[in-house]
Amino acid sequence: MRVLRSSGALWLGLLTVVLLVLPLVVTSRFAIDIFIRVLLFAFIGVAWNLIGGYAKQLSLGHAAYFGLGAYTSTILQIDVGISPWIGMLAGGVVAMLASLPIGALCFRLRGPYFAISTIATAQVFMLLFLKFRDFAWGAEGTTIPNLGNAPLMMQFEAKAAYYYIALGLLAIGLAITYRIERSWMGYYLVAIGEDEDAAEAIGVNAMRIKRDIYMISAFLTALAGTFYVQYIYFIDPQTAFNFNISVEAALVSIVGGVGTLWGPVIGTVLLEATSALLQSWLGSSFGGIQLTVYSLILMAVILWRPTGLLSVLAEVYARIVRRGSAQTKKAVLDG
Amino acid sequence: MGDALVVRNLSKRFGGLRAVQDLSFSVKENETVALIGPNGAGKTTSFNLITGFHRPDEGSVSAFGREIVGLKPYDICAHGLARTFQVAKPFGAMTVLANVMTGAFLRDKKLEVARARAREAIEFVGLSAKEHTPARDLTTIDQRRLEMARALATEPRLLLLDEVMAGLNPAEIDQAVALVGKLSKRGLTIIIVEHVMRAIMAVARHIVVLDHGQKIAEGSPKEVVANQDVVRAYLGPGYVHVAAPGE
Repeated sequence: MRVLRSSGALWLGLLTVVLLVLPLVVTSRFAIDIFIRVLLFAFIGVAWNLIGGYAKQLSLGHAAYFGLGAYTSTILQIDVGISPWIGMLAGGVVAMLASLPIGALCFRLRGPYFAISTIATAQVFMLLFLKFRDFAWGAEGTTIPNLGNAPLMMQFEAKAAYYYIALGLLAIGLAITYRIERSWMGYYLVAIGEDEDAAEAIGVNAMRIKRDIYMISAFLTALAGTFYVQYIYFIDPQTAFNFNISVEAALVSIVGGVGTLWGPVIGTVLLEATSALLQSWLGSSFGGIQLTVYSLILMAVILWRPTGLLSVLAEVYARIVRRGSAQTKKAVLDG
Repeated sequence: MGDALVVRNLSKRFGGLRAVQDLSFSVKENETVALIGPNGAGKTTSFNLITGFHRPDEGSVSAFGREIVGLKPYDICAHGLARTFQVAKPFGAMTVLANVMTGAFLRDKKLEVARARAREAIEFVGLSAKEHTPARDLTTIDQRRLEMARALATEPRLLLLDEVMAGLNPAEIDQAVALVGKLSKRGLTIIIVEHVMRAIMAVARHIVVLDHGQKIAEGSPKEVVANQDVVRAYLGPGYVHVAAPGE
């Protein structure tokens, strides 16, 4: 048991070192851009996984919180001159507050009806920001003024700086998930996901637990929104409330393994890598075919391994360290 | 001894169907009461009304001196009423231990405390050997045991068991009967819904008979099996009670 735990810490330490050194070794701006995308979407996936994976509430509306985070910090920066670092936290709080009425409405519905209602919430926000031009630039959106190298305003000349911020966000998301998974809250979330009635029968206030975890999930997703618009120096409703963000958040977790700590990370790495490779191999010769291949791979994964690819890796790993496999399984299942 | 549960004039309609009509009964502390009757008589609905899963149209339920109609299921559980489900509802992806720990968190949020209490409950129902088995891999009787352990982990004073013996073979029924007896000895008040008459005669001190949502008889097991209304509605004219060992 102790051996396993220390080997886990060893792997984590090794991974951390590799990730910290990576932008120093790989200096191609294109590569770093892909790394940043991977870290960012892994982080959004981790945030989604709390409500969508552990508690199995299939939200397809996380773009609402991504967009609220993005708009809150941008409005504060441009209209009031407040640093996006503070705006980021403000955006998180706005998203948390927005999640309360949204959750109160949507959690009345179960299963696919819940998913559909969450799609609607993100669309409503997009329409609001499109229509009310006086409030936030309407459909044209706005560019974020480039101040050169201004760390206090979350602007950097070196791309690596953005990489480290995204890495930091992902680390925070994983740490929060780890803490939750190993507490009573984690048990309650899984119980709600498995059978809400049975959970209520043993004293779990399912509505309250779902509300609380949804707030945490919304908060984290909003941080990603602020970071993203700071990174691309541009915001409009289509970017901030894009349905693809909601889908990607769910997809990376589902492909990697819902309700697992590392599932969204594995899922993002595989999906982004596949997508980038297909793009460079097939994108120039047969326009559009890379999306077809990508979709086929996605369908194959979901049919072949509906529990996610993390379980494949876990099996392979267990086969390699057969001696410790029984104990690993025990530890994983007991949380 | 005082009353653990007092049900007064409880009624519930589903559309045109009167599932439960004007039902009244009471359960004394540390007593085991059985609720019997044909399918559709309103037994499970009564459980759902008492435990807050359905809201009654009329009537009151008082548990340990407190009115509980209108409370949510989790509040009622916190008040000391725990139930099992007719169709077992284990948290399939979790191990037996994790399932029962989820129940134990009601009284203490600390992992170590919950784990110790869960182990105790698991041992009590005789599932210790399968502590690390995912709940979805359990056999029927073990799933029922798990439900009982999970309910026990919430430290209830009143336990409502909904057909925990359905689908069990005769040997397993004997084990389940022994388990219910052990729970009662522990000081728990028990309400049990059951079709297996042999089991009911062995565990229940008092029987309430329902038919078409109404109470048609109540009394000691001997009185109930001799009651002509009960024989006509439920047991059938050929019913002969064979005394179980230890009765």
